[in-house]
Formats: sequence, structure tokens, C-alpha cells
Amino acid sequence: MFFHITLERNMQLHPRHFGPHLRDKLVTKLMKDVEGTCSGRHGFIVAITGVEDIGKGLIREGTGFVTFPVKYQCVVFRPFKGEILDAAVTMVNKMGFFAEAGPVQIFVSNHLIPDDMEFQLGDVPNYTTSDRSVKIQKDSEVRLKIIGTRVDATEIVCS
Amino acid sequence: MPRRSRTEFEDEEEVEEEEEEEEEEEEEGRAGGRKRNRSDFIDDAAVEEDDEEDEDEEDEEEQLGRGRKQRMRGSEFFELEAQVDSDEEEEEDEEAEDDFINDAGADLRDEEGGRRPHRPLNLMPEDQEDVEEMERQVYERYSKPSPMEYGDDATEVEQQALLPSVKDPKLWMVKCAIGRERETAICLMQKFIDRPDLQIRSVIALDHLKNYIYVEADKEAHVKEACKGLRTIYSSVKIMLVPIKEMTDVLSVESKTIELARDTWVRMKLGIYKGDLAKVIDVDNVRQKVTVKLIPRIDLQHLANKLEGRDVGKKKAFLPPPRFFNIDEAREMHIRVERRRDKDTGEYFEMVDNMMFKDGFLYKTVSMKSINSQKIQPNFDELDKFRKPGDDADGDMASLSTLIANRKKGHFMKGDAIVVVRGDLKNLKGCVEKVEEDTVHVKPDMAGLPNTLAFNEKELCKYFKLGDHVKVVSGVQDGATGMVVKVDSHVLIIASDTTKEDIHVFADNVVKSSEVTSGITKMGDYELHDLVLLDHTSFGVIIRVETEAFQVLKGVPDRPEVVLVKLREIKSKIERRANAQDSRRNIVSVKDIVRVLEGPCKGKQGPVQHIHRGILFIHDRHHLEHAGFICVKAQSCIVVGGNNDRRSVDNFDGRLLRPSSPFLQSLPPRGPIDNGGRRRGGRGHDALVGRTIKIRSGPFKGYRGRVVEVTGSLVRIELDSQMKIIAVKRDDISDTFGSATPFREQSRYGFGSETPIHPSRTPLHPYQTPMRDAGATPVHEGMRTPMHGRAWAPMSPPRDPWEDANPASWGSTPQYQPGTPARSYEAPTPGSGWANTPGGNYSDAGTPSESNPIYGNAPSPYMPSTPGMQPMTPSANYLPGTPGGQPMTPGNIGLDAMSPVIGGENEVNWLIPDVLVNVLRPGEGPCTAVVREVMMDGSCKAALGSSGNGDIITVHPADIEAVRPKKSDKIKIMSGALRGITGKLIGIDGADGIVKMDDTYEVKILDMNILAKLAIQ
Repeated sequence: MFFHITLERNMQLHPRHFGPHLRDKLVTKLMKDVEGTCSGRHGFIVAITGVEDIGKGLIREGTGFVTFPVKYQCVVFRPFKGEILDAAVTMVNKMGFFAEAGPVQIFVSNHLIPDDMEFQLGDVPNYTTSDRSVKIQKDSEVRLKIIGTRVDATEIVCS
Repeated sequence: MPRRSRTEFEDEEEVEEEEEEEEEEEEEGRAGGRKRNRSDFIDDAAVEEDDEEDEDEEDEEEQLGRGRKQRMRGSEFFELEAQVDSDEEEEEDEEAEDDFINDAGADLRDEEGGRRPHRPLNLMPEDQEDVEEMERQVYERYSKPSPMEYGDDATEVEQQALLPSVKDPKLWMVKCAIGRERETAICLMQKFIDRPDLQIRSVIALDHLKNYIYVEADKEAHVKEACKGLRTIYSSVKIMLVPIKEMTDVLSVESKTIELARDTWVRMKLGIYKGDLAKVIDVDNVRQKVTVKLIPRIDLQHLANKLEGRDVGKKKAFLPPPRFFNIDEAREMHIRVERRRDKDTGEYFEMVDNMMFKDGFLYKTVSMKSINSQKIQPNFDELDKFRKPGDDADGDMASLSTLIANRKKGHFMKGDAIVVVRGDLKNLKGCVEKVEEDTVHVKPDMAGLPNTLAFNEKELCKYFKLGDHVKVVSGVQDGATGMVVKVDSHVLIIASDTTKEDIHVFADNVVKSSEVTSGITKMGDYELHDLVLLDHTSFGVIIRVETEAFQVLKGVPDRPEVVLVKLREIKSKIERRANAQDSRRNIVSVKDIVRVLEGPCKGKQGPVQHIHRGILFIHDRHHLEHAGFICVKAQSCIVVGGNNDRRSVDNFDGRLLRPSSPFLQSLPPRGPIDNGGRRRGGRGHDALVGRTIKIRSGPFKGYRGRVVEVTGSLVRIELDSQMKIIAVKRDDISDTFGSATPFREQSRYGFGSETPIHPSRTPLHPYQTPMRDAGATPVHEGMRTPMHGRAWAPMSPPRDPWEDANPASWGSTPQYQPGTPARSYEAPTPGSGWANTPGGNYSDAGTPSESNPIYGNAPSPYMPSTPGMQPMTPSANYLPGTPGGQPMTPGNIGLDAMSPVIGGENEVNWLIPDVLVNVLRPGEGPCTAVVREVMMDGSCKAALGSSGNGDIITVHPADIEAVRPKKSDKIKIMSGALRGITGKLIGIDGADGIVKMDDTYEVKILDMNILAKLAIQ
């Protein structure tokens, strides 16, 4: 599920960026640092939509870096248990198949694939129903329900 | 116990000779240890009934404990008792006892002969009646309230009082010959009878304890005295005292109650089925027999031969594999299969050679002793075999009961989700609140129930939901983690985190956990994912740790080779950090991300985990086999990501290099120059290392030192003046000596370009070499100064007119001839003087006679005539653009491209909006993009796609190369005086392009490198 939320982050800026474009620099760096990251609480930060507030910078002794507290709005994507998602299949093997829904990696075990679908090995490994009407292979689009999530290397197992 | 024995001995003394030898022995046996009772009887051919009674007694003893025992002891020796314990109880008991004795005596005589063979416990049906009779009698005897000192309701405290104390005689452990324990005990008894002065109290020989007997006595000396002269006792061996606390243990009988219920799993202990799993079908506790269901191991051919009476080989060497019995097959082999009905159960069995089969299973009745019912953990394969179609519920029940039977202590923990599997509240779910021994307090999930309910542990089972992340805590898969993908009653199917394989486990063996492992990860010194040396030539990465061996992916590129290696077969762990070179001769080190360019794993990408002998082990988390490890030759990979700009160094095709080098020079010195620094820094092969430098700025400004190491933008310098090594920014240092590498030189120019008076060095370039020859020091120094440039460049424009004006005189001043600059400069040492300030130079120039030998040497009449030129603001002359100089060397624009002049002129970027570029992003192929905006730090925003309508990305200039225009392409000039001007490429002549300007329609010849293709708008 997507959310538009406000997050806060302390940004460290190198002194070389101090100047008229400091603010731009800060935003650029924020985007670079934050977009595409994942946290267990908020999920994936998909995009920064705006910067609400940049607090006063604090010079750090020794390094000369300045820490700015930055409040920013962003779109996050967080998968939930029980959520139903559309995803694109990226890999199919005998254990199940992998799919991606945006940044989320999803693994669907063969136990969770409908029973009438059988694994077919071949050039394009796929799962096919007995009447051959439905086929899951690489690049197929599937709709699935997430049964569990695990946050580590941004991976989530679903069905 | 000690008490008891003591009384016995005392009794015996009183009894004198009237007892028969046999009986004495019997008693002695008892004195020696109850354990021996039965066997003594056997030896002495004592009465079956006695035997039986003994058993009963034993049973009762076990139940009633010591208090009771003492009395029963007495009762065994009825006669003695009759004589000795005559105080209170006798009135009622005596008669019964006497009867009993008589009966027993009679029985003894009658049955002595015939019974012997059946003695060992196997009760024949005929015995039943007698046994019952016995039981009745015994029961009668003991059911009467006994007036003995210890009542039936002897409390624990009273029992405690019976335990041996310090005042009681002690038990001594005496070593004797193995297998002669009993003999020794008998000998001691005999000795005691013969010599009443012996001060031992009793002797005990235990069946289960070999090599030792126990002797009860007050003092060690008494024991020694008694043992003296016995050949089965080694006199030399020390006699050990049994601690008081352990004394009771010596004689306590461990209760071996085998609970065998139907449907439990057992393993066979003997025969061809040894180790096989079997299921209990029927239990006959009386006969100690069990009927089990097995998967038969039958060699039909052998059976057929046997049945037909043909010659049967002595013993089969091989063990027939377990296989279901197939009647049809058997019939084909001409084996007679009978169908019979079991009279007890009413079920039909196929009988073959006295073996019973049903549904392919063999039904076998075996002794309880030949099966093992403890700690049976059937694995799934075995269970699967047992589970025939339509047999599901049965199989499940069995596994559940086995499961519960095999549970460990402390199975449930607070917070566990459980489900009730037995009783009224079956299927109730809840979570564990508290565990007390076997009782588990559960908080039910369902509303309307009391807060907590207490359950027996056996009524509960752990419960997991789909999607739970769990860890296996026992069993074969111990340690693995994964997500529950299917719950099949009490069996969970888990998708392993690492391999995505299915794991079947019992719910009981699993706990909820958020950690991620792949089972055990360590064995001996080796851990999962370690690089290990197998023998001199082979090595590999541990990809899986099993219970006794490692799975190792061998370091053989191109094809994955996995071997199973025992712990001791591994020679050592390879921990040395090595480097390798990729296909483009980049240095690859551990943790670098590389992409496989060729071979079966082409396209895979991941961080390098290990490097050994030019072979990389890459971990690709999308690679499912071999724990994600890929083994490839370093040569078939390319480094991506991280330090991708290294690529440009290695890519010496010039095209890539050249556009990027002006960029480097043009960078603001404190900007991303560090990038350049890193780039030049490469990996340790920096030309700077070892050089003596001077620090230009920062806290150590002015210090000199030797460069120890270059890391990225930092340079570690060992100071000459202080005993320390400091790290300074690369751009904070300057060489004290001249430059050596072209890179250095350029960068210096780059720095130089900061000064506004930077000369137009274009014309200077050709002369660099002679200049350098001129001497390393002052002249060189001078080179950096504007003086130089001015000496030549400014002269050149006016030269022409002069030449025109009076060529003769010009000719007389050969010093100014470009061809001979060296000489003119060689002479003057005070080059440093020139270097001072431009002003100084001018003055020099203006007044050559004063200090400048050059001018002195060249008494040029033109001096006076040129002041007009000199007063001109030098900067005008020095403008890099100085087109005046250029016409002379049309090609020198090409030089411009490489020389820092551009940088001097334009401190920003070579990049310019609207040009078409190739973006080389790490890990991806090049893609075209249109530069939209160039940012402060040099990076730029580019829109993907050749027409620029794709996504806008921010890229680093190092990742960009301009698209080389082709003939008749629209171009934009990226640098030089004409920067930003658009035009059309009308022809290409080698490295030069012929460009027709858009606005002026002029045709110019420009270096191709400064031309960039303009995006189609």
C-alpha cells in the first residue's frame, strides 16, 4: 500500500557545498540518500515529493560537516500481510516463482500456487493449469495475496 | 536396607542348623541382594510359586516403598519371622503364614521336576490358576491391617528415618573378577557361616554391575578380613566406601516401565529389520509380545526357492530392500498365498510361509524386548512410506502421538501459540501464559472463556499460521529458518529463507523467530561461506554445513561442482586477501561488485566474496543454487558499481578519456576533483606515492613530506619535519619537484588556471620539451608563470607586423625565433626573477638591459619600438582565446582540447545542455540521453532516450561520454572559444571535423573531441 507521509532525517552536508545552492544540494543529497531505501516501519521510500522544513544546521566539530534536520514528504510503499497486489513474475523454478511488485521482491512457493497448476520445465519454465489455459512464466502478471513479510534485504514472501 | 540385612544375619544365628542348606542359601541370596532373588531360585530349583510370590512382592515393594519392604522382607522368611518377630503381630498372622509355607513346600516338591524348562517367566496358561490363587493368598495376607511398627500409612518422614545414617554399617565396594560376582558373594556367605567371627553384615552382588560386589560392614578392616583368601577378590585392590547418600541407590531398582500403546512408532532391534520403523498394532502385556506392522524386506525368489524345497543358500549376503508385499507377484513366483482370518480381530491376512501380510505390510509378533520404543523420531520419508493412500488420518494420528511422546521438557514457553489437540476443548487456540511442569496455562483466543485454562502438556500442540516466520529448533533441519507456506495439521511446510526449498517439519520442532539462517553455520573452525583449501590444487566455498560434512562449491569456473567434504578433509581456511584483474584489467578485490560477462553464469552480478588464484566467488542473491555462490574466472567478469570511473582509465581508446580529462581539469579545485584524485589514485599505483611534496594549504601548510599512500582524495604524507604521518586532501599538496606524469602536469595547469593571468599556453605547448630540457629547476618553475607564455605568445601577434616591417632586423634577433628558445633561456639563471610577478616581467621586458641577459644578449632595436604593445593590459594578450596565435597552427585547437586552457577559460564542465550523450551506468549497458542541465558540481541531469523524452536522471560526468557526431550531424561545440555554438558537421578529416557554423555560416576546422552531437529537438 502506498502512503504519503512526512519523515525526518538528519542530513550531513560537506562544507564544500556551502554556498548559494546549499539548499538544492541538500535536497539532491536527500533524494540520493533516501529514495529507494527500505525500512521495516515504513517500507520502501519510493519518491520524495517535497521538503517541508530544513532546520538549522549544526556544525560538527572535527569534520566541518553540517547536520541539518530535514523534514520531507515522501511516498512510501509498504506491503502488508493480507494485501492483494499485482506483480510481475521475474523467475520461475520448481520451488515456486519470484515476482516483483515495484521494489518488493515476492516469492510464491509452489505450495501456494493453485493445486491444478503444474510446473513445466523447459525453455521457459512455467506453471500451467491442467487445461493449459493459464500459464505463469517469466514476465507474466499475477495477482497475489501477501501472506507474510520479512524485512531484511528488502525481500518479502507472499502468495 | 542395612537394617534388614543385619536382622537377617542375626536371625540366622538364632536359627542354628535346623534349616536346610538350600534355604540358607536362598536367604543368603536375599541378603546379598534382592536382585538376585529370581535367579537364585532358578539355580536352586525353587518353587514356581515362590517365584511368583516374589514378583508380587517386588511389585508391591515398588509401590509401597521402604516401610513396607521391611515387613515384607520378614514375610519372605516366614519361619524366621515366626521365631524371631514374635512380639506383637503373630496372633492373627501365624496361621495363614504357616498354611502358606506348607502349601509352598508341597508345591515345591511336586513341581520341581517338570517346571524347570519353563522357569524364566514365561507363564503358561496352566499356571494361571495357581498364580491367581497365589495372588489371592498374598492379597489376603497383606490386606489385613498390620500391627507392625511401620503402618501402611508410613509417611515420608518415617521413611526418611529408615535411610542409612552415620551410625549404620557402611557399604564397601570390593573389586572382584569379572563374572565371578555371584560366586564371590556365595563364597563370602559360606565363609560367614563357617566362621561366625566375621564381622561383615551382608554381601551384595548386582547383576548389572560387573567386576564389583558390595560388602556391608562397620569397618574396612572387617571387609578385608572377610575377603582375605578369596581367589576371586584381588587383595591388592583398594576397597572403596560407598557414600551414605549413594547407599540407597545401590539397591534401588530403576523402574523400567515401557509404555507401549497402539499406533506408536517403534524400531526393531534385531534381525533383518534391525533399525526399521514399525508401528505397534497390538500389545500383549502379559506375554510381553507386540504385534507390529512393518514394510517387509522379503526376497521373493529366495522365498519361492525355500518353499519349493529347493536348495537354499546358507545366508543371504544382502539385505532385501523394504518393499510392499505384492500378492500377485508372489503368485507369479508360485508362492502359495493363503488367506486366513485372524480369530481375534476378525481381519483377513495373507499368509505366506507363516508370515502375515495385509495391505502389503508385514504383521509380525515380536517380543517386547526386541523393539525399541524410546526416542523414536521417524523422519518424513519413513512416515511417507507408511502412509498409503486412504490412510491419511491414521498416519497423522500416529505421528502426533509419537510426537507428543518424544517431546522434550520445557517444550512450551510463554507466548507460544497453541492449539488443543485432545479432549473437550479440541481445536481451541490460545497462547501460553504460564508453564508449570506438565501443566500449561493457556489463555484462549476465544471470547467468553475464562481468562486462563490449565491443560496437560500432552493435550496441546504448537500452532503456526501461514506466513509466520519460524526457526526449526530440533530434528534434521535444526537451525533452518523460513516462512510457513503450508500448514498440514501438525506438519508445517516451510520455504527456507536461503534456498527457498521446502522443509517439512513438525510444528513441535519449530519456534517463531525473526532471524534468518540456513541451519547450522559452523563446524570446527569453518563457517558457512568460508573459503577453504581442500587439497593442494582444489579449493572452494562452503555453501552448506550439514551435520557431519560440508557442501563445498569447488573453485572450478564454468561449471558448478559441489562436493561433500568431511571436516577433517579440509586442509585449511584461506583467509589471505587477494586481488585479481577483470576482463578490462581492473583490479578486483573482495566486496567489489562484478558482473559476469561470459560463461554459463553470464549476466549474473554480485559482490565478490572470495578471490583465490584468479577465481572469483560471487554471491548473487538471486542465484538459488549453491547458496547463491557463483564461481567464475576473474577474466570473464567486469567490475561494476563503486569505483566505476576506473573504467575510464582503463579504457584507453582515447575517446572516452579525452572528453573526461578536460572535465577533470576544469573542475573547481575543491569540487569533485577528489574524484579525479581517486581516479588517478587507482589502487596503489599512484605516481604520487614516494614523491616528496609540499603542502599548500590547510593546517600543515608549508610542510614538506613524502607521500606514503594515496587513498581516494586523501594523501597520507610522512612529514619531514615531524615524526608523523598526516592525511591531507590531495588538492592541498603541491609537488616540490617537477611533474612526471602527464596527469600531474595537467592537473597542475588546472590549478594554475585559477590565476587570472594564466597565459595562453597554446603556443607554448610545442615548446614544452625544449623548456624542460633546459633544466629541471628554475626554468621549469618559470614555466608555470605567466612570464613564459608572455615571452612567446604575446610576441607572436606583433611579430608578424614586425617581420613585415623590417625583416632584417628581426632576423638579427634570433633569440626570439621560436626554434631556438632554449638557448635564450638557458643563459639566464634568474628565471626565478621572471616568475615573481607579471609586473616584474614586464619591467624586465621593458628594461631588458637592466637585469635580463636575454634581452641584453639580444640588443634588439625593437625594444623601444614595442612599448606600445607592452603597456597593453597583459590580460588581453593572455586571453586564452588569443586567436592571433591560432591561425598559425590550425590544428592547435585539438591541443586545446587536451590542454587546460579550456579549463582555464571555462571552469564549469565540458558538458553543455542539449548534447547527446551516452550514459554508462554501473551494471547497465550504455544508453543515450540528452543533457538537460549541468549542475554546480559537474553532474548533470540528463533525459534518457535519444530525443530526450525519457526519465530524467542525474549522472556524474564520469559516467557520460559525448556521442561522437557523424558527418552532416548537427553539432555543438563543447569547449574552446566557440563553446556553445552550434553548427553542422560537413566533413571529417582524421581527428578534425569540418564544421559549418550555424550563425555565421563560417566553416571551421575543429577537433572532433570538442564536438558533440546535438540532440534532435
